[in-house]
Order: sequence, then C-alpha cells, then structure tokens
Amino acid sequence: MKLELLKGSRTRILAAVILAIVAIFVVRLFYLQVVKYDYYVGLAKAEQQSRFVIPASRGIIYAKSGTAIVPMVMNETVYTVFADPATVKDKTKITDTLRQVAGGNVRADFAQLLSTPNSRYQILATKVTRTQADKIKAANLSGIGFQAVSQRVYPEGSLGAQVLGFVDTTGQGRYGVENYQNDALKGVDGYLKAVTDVNNVPLTIGNDNVSQPAVNGKNIVLSLDRNIQSYVESALAAGLQRSGAKKGSVLVMDPNNGKVLAMANLPTYDPANYGQVSDVAAFNNDTISAPYEPGSDVKTYTLATGIDKGVVKASDTYNNTDYIKVGDIIISNATLGRTGNITFQTALTWSLNTGFVTIAQRLGDGTNITKSARDIMYDYFHNRFGLGSLTGIELANEAPGTVISPDTVQGNAVRYSNMAFGQGLDATLIQVASGFSAIVNGGSFYKPTIIDGYMTDTGFKQNATPKPIRTNIIAQSTSVQVKQATRDARATSFGRTDKPGYYIGGKTGTSQVIVNGQYSNSETIGTYLGFGGSSIDTPRYVIMVQVSGKDQKLGGAQDALPIFTNISNWMLDYLKIQPKG
Amino acid sequence: MRDRGWNERPSSDVVRRHRPDYLILLFMGLLMLIGLVTLYAIGPQRANVLNNSYGSNYGPTYFFVKQIISLAVALVGFVIFATVPYEWVLKQGKKLLWIGLGLCAVLFIAGVARLSIAPPTLGAVRWFQLGIFGSIQPAELLKFGILVFLGGFIGLRAKQGHVNDLYKTLIPVAAVTTISLLFVVILQKDLGTGVAITGIIAAMMMIGGVNKRIGIIALITLAVIGSIFIVIEPNRVQRIVTYTGGSDAQGGNRYQIDNALIAIGTGGLTGVGIGNSVQASGYLPEATNDSVFAIMGEIFGFIGLMVILLILFGLLMRLLSIMDHLVDIRLKLLVAGVFGWFGTHVILNIAAIIGVFPLTGITLPLLSFGGTSLIFLTAALGLVFQLSRYTVHSSRLAKVGDSKHEDSGSRRRVGRTRYASRCSS
Repeated sequence: MKLELLKGSRTRILAAVILAIVAIFVVRLFYLQVVKYDYYVGLAKAEQQSRFVIPASRGIIYAKSGTAIVPMVMNETVYTVFADPATVKDKTKITDTLRQVAGGNVRADFAQLLSTPNSRYQILATKVTRTQADKIKAANLSGIGFQAVSQRVYPEGSLGAQVLGFVDTTGQGRYGVENYQNDALKGVDGYLKAVTDVNNVPLTIGNDNVSQPAVNGKNIVLSLDRNIQSYVESALAAGLQRSGAKKGSVLVMDPNNGKVLAMANLPTYDPANYGQVSDVAAFNNDTISAPYEPGSDVKTYTLATGIDKGVVKASDTYNNTDYIKVGDIIISNATLGRTGNITFQTALTWSLNTGFVTIAQRLGDGTNITKSARDIMYDYFHNRFGLGSLTGIELANEAPGTVISPDTVQGNAVRYSNMAFGQGLDATLIQVASGFSAIVNGGSFYKPTIIDGYMTDTGFKQNATPKPIRTNIIAQSTSVQVKQATRDARATSFGRTDKPGYYIGGKTGTSQVIVNGQYSNSETIGTYLGFGGSSIDTPRYVIMVQVSGKDQKLGGAQDALPIFTNISNWMLDYLKIQPKG
Repeated sequence: MRDRGWNERPSSDVVRRHRPDYLILLFMGLLMLIGLVTLYAIGPQRANVLNNSYGSNYGPTYFFVKQIISLAVALVGFVIFATVPYEWVLKQGKKLLWIGLGLCAVLFIAGVARLSIAPPTLGAVRWFQLGIFGSIQPAELLKFGILVFLGGFIGLRAKQGHVNDLYKTLIPVAAVTTISLLFVVILQKDLGTGVAITGIIAAMMMIGGVNKRIGIIALITLAVIGSIFIVIEPNRVQRIVTYTGGSDAQGGNRYQIDNALIAIGTGGLTGVGIGNSVQASGYLPEATNDSVFAIMGEIFGFIGLMVILLILFGLLMRLLSIMDHLVDIRLKLLVAGVFGWFGTHVILNIAAIIGVFPLTGITLPLLSFGGTSLIFLTAALGLVFQLSRYTVHSSRLAKVGDSKHEDSGSRRRVGRTRYASRCSS
C-alpha cells in the first residue's frame, strides 16, 4: 500500500504520529500478551477460579416391615428463598406472593429486608417446599433466588427416634445410627474446581476444570421391624400409663442371631423437630447407654453358671432361712417366709436372694465365695455373657457398664454375693438381653446388631448371616435347664396370662438404686427378661422391659412383666408361631 | 474558463470522478465483521451478566441481533453518503450543526424535566430512549454536524486565505467548539465524545493551514481549560488517580483497567479462542462496548490484535492518503475531520484499555457494540468513500499548473500506476 504522501506536508506529520502511537501499542501488547502472559494467567486464575462442593446425598435409613423394607429416614429438598435487594423490582408483588404461597415460612420482617441498602443477599423464607418454590418461581419475580437445602424427613414420625438419632444443622449425625454411621451415611462430597463468571456460576470454559463426583452415602437397612417397634412403643406407653412410671425401655431381639427387632425408650421425641426438645435426656437410647444394676434378672446367669459348673441343679435343695451372712454383712430375701429346705427352682420362682448366694458359695468351697468361685462368676458374667463390656452394637453412645474383677480389692466375696442376685454390677439392657439370648439359644453368644444390610442400586443387600462370636459358653443341657427353670418360674405365678401352647419363660427383676452412695428403699427399677417360642428348642424372641422413675418404687412383677406379656403374646401372632402341645 | 485550455484550469475544477478507494470499504467491512464475531461470541455472556446484576431480561442473541440491525442501518448510511453528491452534503453543514446542537439542548431540557425518553445514566443524560427504536445519542449527530459544517466553513476561509484570521475564522471555530463541548462535556459529562470533537476540529484546523503559533496557543488553552474541568469534576480526578495506579484501588476504573489487562494478558500469543472468554462473563465492565479491544485480545491473542491494529492503521492511513490527494480544500478538510474522529476514538480507546493513558470512556469505532456512534461514523466513512473518487495523482499535486501536457493524473486513483487507467481490459 503506497501512500504517496506529499513531502513535508502536515499529512506526513499526522502519519508519523499515528505510526509512532501504533508502534507503542504493538510494543505494549507484546509486553502484556507475550512477556507477561504467565503473570496475567495467574491473576486470572486467582480471580476466576472457584471451588464448589457437590454435596453427597445422605444415605436413607430403612427398617423391616416383616420381609418388606420401608424407609424410616429420607431426604427432602427444601428451599431457602432469598432476595437480591439491588435487583428487586416489584416489592409489593414479592411480598404478596410470598405471603400467599409460603406465609408460614417467611421471616417476620421479610418485607423490610427487601429494601436493605447495599446488600445483595437477604433470606426471606426458609424450608419452603418444592411445590411452594415452583409457585413462587411461576410468579416470575425479579430479584428473588432459591437455594436448595436437603433435610431429613421421617415418614414414621417419632418411631424409633433414639435408634435413628437426627442430623444437626451442620449435617452431622447426632445420636443413634445417624451418629454411629455418620461417615457411611454422609458419603463423600464431590467437588468442582471451575472457572466461574463474576456471579460465581461455573463456566465450561478452560482446561483446568476438575470435577470429582460425589459419592452418595450408604442406605442402611436396620434389623428393626417397624411393626414390632410400633407395637412395642404403644405397649410400653400403655404400661407406663398403668404403672405411672416416668421412664421405660423395651428391647426385643432374636436370640438366634443377635438382631435387634425393636428398641424403644419413653419419653421420646420427634426427630424432625429435635430442636424443640427441652430435656436432652429424651435423645438417649437407654437400652444401650444407661447402665444400671440389673437385679434379679441376673439370677438366671447365676443359675446357668452353677448348672454349667455342675455344682447345682434346679431341683437341688438348700436350707433357706431368709437370711444369709457373707463376711460381715447379712443378705436377706425380699420375699420372706419360704423357709426350710427348698429347691433352687423355688428360689428362682420367688426370687430368693439366699438361693443364689448359696450357688455362689457352692462354686467355691460350699460355704465361702472363694477367689476361684469369684473367678468363675467373673468368667461367666463378664467374659462369656458379656456384662460390663461394650457389645459393639452399631449405635452411638453405648456405655460399657462395670463388672468388678475378683483380682481387685473391690471384687471381694461381699460384692460377688451381691452380684449373684444382680446387684453390685452395672450393665445395660442390651448386655443383659444379649447374654440371656446366649443362655436360651444353647450357648452361642451373638454380638447384638441393628444393621441388617444395605440398600444398593440393585436392591437390598443383606449382611452375611451373623456368626456367634463365642460358642458353647454354656452347655446345651445347661441352656435347657435354665429355660425350664425360667419357664416354671413364670408359669407358677403368671403363666395364665400367656397364650396357651407356647413355651414362654422369664425372670422378674426389681433392682435397688444407689442414691447418695446408699441402696435406696424409695426407688427401685422394675425389669422383666424373658423369651418365647413354640417349644423349648425354638426360642424366637427375647424381650427385656425396664420401667423406672426418679423416686419411684417400681417392681418387676407388677410393672414390667405386664408389658412383656402384652408384647410377647402379640409377637406370637406377628411371627405366626404355631402353638405346640 | 473553457477557452483557457487544460493546463490553465484550476486543478479543483477538472478532477474527474473515478473508481473509489475500495480499501476503505474492505477495511471497514473487516472491522465490522470482527466486531460482529466477537459480539456473537460474548453476547450471551453479556446478557447473562446484565440479567443477573440488574434484573434485566436480555436473550442470548440480543446483542448479536441488535448489532446486525445497527450494522444494516450503518451500511445504509454509508451508501447514502457515498452516493448523495458531496456538494449537497456540504450545503447542509449549517443545518446539521443546528440540529445536533438543538437535539443536545432538547435532551438537556428533557433530562431536567425527568422525561422517560431521557433516562439518566451514571449521573448524566446522554441519550434519548425511543422504545423499540433503541436509544439515540445526539452527540454523535453533533459530531457529524461539526464535521460537515466546519468542512465547508474552514474550507471557504482557507480558499479566501483567512484561516488564521482571528475574527473571520478563529473566533467562530472556537465558538462552535466551546458550545459543543459545553453540551457534551459539561452537561452530558461525556469526556470521551468531547475529546473526539476536539480531535475532529484540531485535525481540520491543522489541515486547514492554521499556523503553528495559533495551533500551540489553542492547544495550551485547551489544556488549561481541560485541567480546570478536571479539578472541578472529582470523577475525572479519580480517573487520573486511577491511571497513575494510586490509592483508589476500590475505584471502578482501576477495576476496569485491571481486568482489561487480565483479559489482554491471558490472550497470550494466539488467544483463548472464540467462546472461551472468561473476562466477558462479567469480570470486565463494558465488555461489549469500551472494553471490547481487551476481550478481542483475550479471544484472538497478540496475533489477532496485530491484525486488528493493522486494519485500523491501514484505514487511518487510507484516510490520510485520500486527504492528501484531494485538491478541493473543503474535501480535504472533511477527510481530515473523519481522520480526527476515527483516530481519536481508536487511539484513546486502545491506549486506555492497554493501560498507557487514562480512561476517557470512548468506544472503539466499528468494533464496539453500539448503534449511534457506529451509524454516524460509517456515514462519515461513506462520505470519504465518495470523496475518494476525486483524488488526483501526487505528481499532479506537486506541480499544479506546472505541466505542458494534458494532465491525466485526475483520472487516476491513489496508488495506481500511470498506465493503469489506460488499460480497458
């Protein structure tokens, strides 16, 4: 391109000026784009790139309903409605629409928030359902945005609340399965490292975008049966009403595999509104977290130990004077008058402490609870039946309780005489029921479990059939004898309340509570521990009931046993157990 | 005149109409196309940003379609001014100037009266909002009016030899300049357009032959008045502070320049490619308008910007070349005005965006999104295109009246060989 500009003309001057300026531009652009390229790429990255969390969806918790599987805890997407006051146009329309569609969810002063100066984010309403959100969206309001929030919903209401636990506002599981299985339920959040626009919306531009998909949480299937749980909760509520007890817990498990079928505690709470609970004690699952002195239920353990060691049979006799001296203390029976030469069966039936102290003595030299007797009792109670140690059930806040070893000063004969009838040791309902399960199933100790498997994309994947963690902890014959003894004990006084044709056994317990370091006479815990099935060889369930209350005297026979009976009779129907003979 | 023969004729009378300079059309078309492609690439992002930030409701193709419409209108303007005889256009100079000034006055009054057709933007009323017809910026018409009017006026004075006459030329020109700047810079607070108007007038005066002394005095006067305005108007002080990289880190202008540099810098040698601009997604303000050069730097890289600069430079050089080869001083002045107009926009815009000069808020002609400025500048180029039919060969200019032979230079376009015009096939 030949310009042919006149020599010396002002045009030439202008051309020279333009040329010089363009030359400056070229040099400057070369500097910016080629020399400083990396510098500006770095600046751009710092400004443009953001990291986003792709939330993993929390696992669903299912329970059984017979053979079917039903959800207990699900997720629901709710919306937080917010405003960008800078782009809000029609305030009246916004307030009218929100009031009309989501009047219950709006913040009290949301109309004022719309006019907040220098703000681009104001929350107007929370927990708005999808339907409501769609209606608000349909109104086409400018300056209004939605944020999806996932929350837990409970199709069964408060059923099994303490077993389930809840999820707090930070997404952390609290109590129960939600807490214990938090990591599995939570899954792993994915992330997206991406270039975004100025409003932080990810763009598909660039090669540095990294996307790590979320791994959703596992869907847990509990061994809990919602029908049993439901019946148990109502039976417990009715029982508490009858006895006036303030608190109660019931545990139902399958003695043949350790699976927990129901686990109820009253008072309970509504996990959907956990924030409104005033007494956090309601969150506790007392069946696993509240060790107590189990009392006379443990006499079945003592009997089993004595029989298994071959020192007694239920039909053996001893001389009952209603009192027995151990060391420098005197132990008396709660029920007086059955004195003389009586069988251990009678001692069990009437829950006479002297009989079981006698068994403890016979484990020793016959008159003293020697060190070897105490070692045997410790071995059976603690090592075999599992009292005083964590069972490992898949629930949060399990407490171990205490069984004092004979190797310590505390583990003396006096203590072990008390332990023979269930005092002087701390155990939880799950421990007592698990040990008892081993006694009635013929000597196999199963770790109690509440998780039956997982729901996967392809359907229910059941855990492997549980194997006992300790076998032959008592002989088969011992098991049979103890079952007979408990059945006879039950039949003598309460058999009429059971459906005929079944094999039901159990033991009452009325435990004293230590108040200010002394066994209190004004507060007792009533328990009942029993099993049921069509015959002695086929126990199908173990039920343990506990009722208690501060400053309440509650008895095993009057207050706990009727609840057991109610549930037991219902279970026979529910499990469709055929009567025998 | 007829009896005097070819050699005696004043050169301006005998210039014959020949083929125009199609390079003008080519360069202009290329720039428009590049601008359109860029807008097609970033239009959806821009719409998205505006919708999110201001609650507007632009569709993804809004900017692209609107630019196509603007380009179509602009090309119609180009054709009109390329065909309507320049003599007629020159006669309309006074009328156009009055319309331009009148519309500015109406705009100001409408703005004071807070009419909806004159919406305030950034603290000033700059355009009429005409519903579906979009917006019209009267300052652009004013530029065109000044161009045509002063082309005729200074041209006449130059022919009379009165260019440096204080009362006949300098005061009237200074008056037009002052009134125009009053409207544009003070009332509309549009420094960019004010600088462009100054550029137009300065280029015309320079080519019109104003002597150096007066030119220097005028420049000094402008500089002094300019400094006074800058001090009065804090918003401009801020721009200077911004440019010098001062403490005003929060300021919008610093932000704009920083992000313009990021956009240009990340373009690298070859650019991120069409559709991959991130800075256009809201980081860089005015991405479609004043900052479009930065976005082009990001998309097309150093190589792409070199091509764009080359075309801009080429177009400016064509303007100079045509100007130099016109004989009629009025036509020279028209082209000089267009050169001043186009050149001021290009230089000030790019210089600000690449961070070597303060921001003035001026568009990059033919490349930026924006109707009014595009339409009037294209019309002005159409006029230049018409004038390029009347150039003569440089040898003719050098020896006007000094030839013994028939002068065939008038039939030749710039840059063609002596024999090219004789070749019929």
